[in-house]
Amino acid sequence: MTKPIVSVKDFSLTIAGKKIVKQLDFEVLPGEVFAFLGSNGSGKTSTIRSLLGIYQATTGELHIDGQKLTPETASRVGYLPEERGLYARAKVLDTMIYFGELKGMKRQDAKREAIAFLERVELSDKANVKIKKLSGGQQQKVQLGVAVMGDPKLLILDEPTKGLDPVNRKLLLDIVDELQQKGVAVIYITHLMEEVERLADRLLVLKDGKARAYGTVAKVKKEFNSKSIEDIFVSIYNEKSAEAAK
Amino acid sequence: MSKLRSVIRHEYMTIIRQPSFWISMVAFPIIFGAIFGLNYFSNTSGTARIEEVAKNLENVAIVDESELISEDVVTGAGLELYPSSEKERLQQSVQDGDVEALVVYPENITKDRAYLVYLASPDFSTSSGVGSLADTILETSLYLPLGDQDVIALAQQGASSEQVIYDNGRETAGIYEYIVPGFFLVLFYIVFLFSIGYMLTSVSDEKENRSMEMVLTYVKSRDLIMGKLLAVTLVTFTQLAFFAVLGLIALLVARSLGNELNLPLDIQVSELVFDPLTIAFALGFLVVGFLLFAGLMTTVAAISPSSKEANNFSVVFYLAPWIPFWFIMPILTDPENPVVRFLTYFPLTSPVVALVRNTIGNMSTLETAFALVVMTIFMVLSIAIAVRAFSRGALEFSQTIKLSSILKK
Repeated sequence: MTKPIVSVKDFSLTIAGKKIVKQLDFEVLPGEVFAFLGSNGSGKTSTIRSLLGIYQATTGELHIDGQKLTPETASRVGYLPEERGLYARAKVLDTMIYFGELKGMKRQDAKREAIAFLERVELSDKANVKIKKLSGGQQQKVQLGVAVMGDPKLLILDEPTKGLDPVNRKLLLDIVDELQQKGVAVIYITHLMEEVERLADRLLVLKDGKARAYGTVAKVKKEFNSKSIEDIFVSIYNEKSAEAAK
Repeated sequence: MSKLRSVIRHEYMTIIRQPSFWISMVAFPIIFGAIFGLNYFSNTSGTARIEEVAKNLENVAIVDESELISEDVVTGAGLELYPSSEKERLQQSVQDGDVEALVVYPENITKDRAYLVYLASPDFSTSSGVGSLADTILETSLYLPLGDQDVIALAQQGASSEQVIYDNGRETAGIYEYIVPGFFLVLFYIVFLFSIGYMLTSVSDEKENRSMEMVLTYVKSRDLIMGKLLAVTLVTFTQLAFFAVLGLIALLVARSLGNELNLPLDIQVSELVFDPLTIAFALGFLVVGFLLFAGLMTTVAAISPSSKEANNFSVVFYLAPWIPFWFIMPILTDPENPVVRFLTYFPLTSPVVALVRNTIGNMSTLETAFALVVMTIFMVLSIAIAVRAFSRGALEFSQTIKLSSILKK
């Protein structure tokens, strides 16, 4: 049996007296794209922050590659948060090198990898340009570069294609495909269900901090007797209003 | 450790690569020098102009009802002394513009200590010149009976005092004991004005440009704050080194031009007292005071959703070190005053008050050590609160964090 990269057991989170996540269990396997779905305020970002050790879990265990994640052990995790941005006044290459160092890479290795990525996404001529001089799409490419530096085992992408034009969106999805082929596990958070249909191997739908659907895409579709992830998502989120109508 | 080093390097380079950092450092001595020079020049030229006007005043009439004014002094100034009966006529002449000015020393001048000046025009330099002339006539007339020129000069200019001060039976060096520890007070204000703000912008910028969450994935909040604090401390050293080099260059230029280094109040550099204990305490108050305010600024930036709000909040802390100036007399002269004691230990005023009191030596060694310990406790608390506020507020981008939620487990 494949050893999971991410293992979350009986996880609950309470912040300032408010229950954000309630007894959540899930696993993410190497080389799969795991769609982590839910509407705004469902607890997705809080779960990811807890997984990364930014928030402390109230109960339960959250493990990445068999151990609790701390900033010291986060070097093999790439994270592209929803609330993302880079140092506006810093240069592109300097920023990438800095984040590489924070991931535990040597300065020279970080520089080499950053230059290679910038060439891959056709931004090598912007290496010494300040971040604020880049367009939104170019900044997003640099952010992805920061996330994938350091040969990650797990990549967490929170709405990675938000605001991207079709060309850059395709480029980003191609990079995700490549990483998946290399065995990298990807947690993919999105509101675009066509991306889930295209990329995801398995999924979890979170509502009010609880898992409402979990498993392979085929299994979930079978369980909900539906051919569309979007329909499943809508039906889960319409449950309450349907109950209220009764 | 290597991550901490990376944070320090990143923060340090981010600050010193900003053109505004160098512009403000270069601009400070230039603006200071320009204001000093302009002020000196305008005062000097203004005084010279008034003296010039006073010298050229010929059509000024003097009426003496006090019987204190010497006719010799008036005629010596090229003017004429008129009897009291001429006053109304002269007053009309001034009004008509025939006489430039009329000075009347009234009978009761010794009680009222005031005299009258009538002027034919509203010209400011003429009025100042007449005022200066009238003062000189009165002063010289009063001193004239003293006879001897040296005695008159002594009465007019006074004499300087040479103080011999004993402290528990030991003869002190007077003002020379205050200069070196007092320098740390000046350093505190330089550091405060130039560096404390970097802590605020460093945190609030990171929040505002949304890079915080990516950073916190790989670095602990505590390490990030410590890295920023150490980087800002290094920036402070860079600034001090810059000003020291600038001062050295000024000194070398002054020497190459053949000028001796003259400190204000005729202070001799060789007479300065370097008391190790006082200097150690001053250094302690400087460093701990700096870190105390840096922690407070970090808290402000961490709990504020944007740099604009952080700047608004921080005004209170920017004003705090100036509060002791409202109480400077009791601080200098009345150390037992309850207000002075409060200000010595209150965290927002303690760095300045402790530095002042350590400079003039109106705290015992035990009291000074106690003040440093109390300040250190507040400094540790301020950094601990900053780290906690940072942990709670670093990822809050839309609202200000309440103090209660920082303290809540």
